[in-house]
Amino acid sequence: MKRIPMLAEAAPFSTVFCAPWGARQGPKLRTRSRPWCSQGVPGQVPQLCCQYSKYSDALSLTLEGIKELVLYVLKHYDEIDRKKLSVNSHFMKGLGLDSLDQVESIMAMEDEFGFEITDIDTEKLMCPQEIVDYIVNKKDVYQ
Amino acid sequence: MKMANSLRGEVLNLYKNLLYLGREYPKGADYFKRRLRNVFLKNKDVKDPEKIKELIRRGEFVMKELEALYFLRKYRAMKQRYYSDINKTN
Repeated sequence: MKRIPMLAEAAPFSTVFCAPWGARQGPKLRTRSRPWCSQGVPGQVPQLCCQYSKYSDALSLTLEGIKELVLYVLKHYDEIDRKKLSVNSHFMKGLGLDSLDQVESIMAMEDEFGFEITDIDTEKLMCPQEIVDYIVNKKDVYQ
Repeated sequence: MKMANSLRGEVLNLYKNLLYLGREYPKGADYFKRRLRNVFLKNKDVKDPEKIKELIRRGEFVMKELEALYFLRKYRAMKQRYYSDINKTN
């Protein structure tokens, strides 16, 4: 019995999964999956978009990648002044957020990295570096 | 301040939960978020623990109301799909 070549079977899937990456980053899906982000997406960090972190287990997060992603998310949070934002800036003292803003930014992290951050930990995370460390510990990233 | 620390966590937790529920709000998540934030900010100077507890209870009540709203919306949508013309009078 002759089998259909695997490539022919796989072809439609591969086009479905690979081709629309450009289209997937279109503004419509972006705004829906990131309700806290009202600005347009500059697209400067294309390979760090949330679809990857959500659907691809194979993607290995690196320390550098997590850091970049955390800052990327915070940069697009309306209340934060981009110029003041750095890895070590304190949310309340440095960036002038209130506790509600801080909760919101932690929720944005949960969305981005796809796991829940407990209430007790939420209160402790006060600067981007702490968030990075927390995610690194949770995700067992060592390099 | 120290005495109210556990209540502070509760309030923030309530805010988080309400924000999650608000994502499906019919008038839009942004609208909901603005309103929610205003309500929380309006009561930010409340110091009395009893009063805070009462406000938390009110927030939890709102959460239940939201759940009921979503449930009803789902139920209505399903009913419309299955009984579109028969039950117009109901």
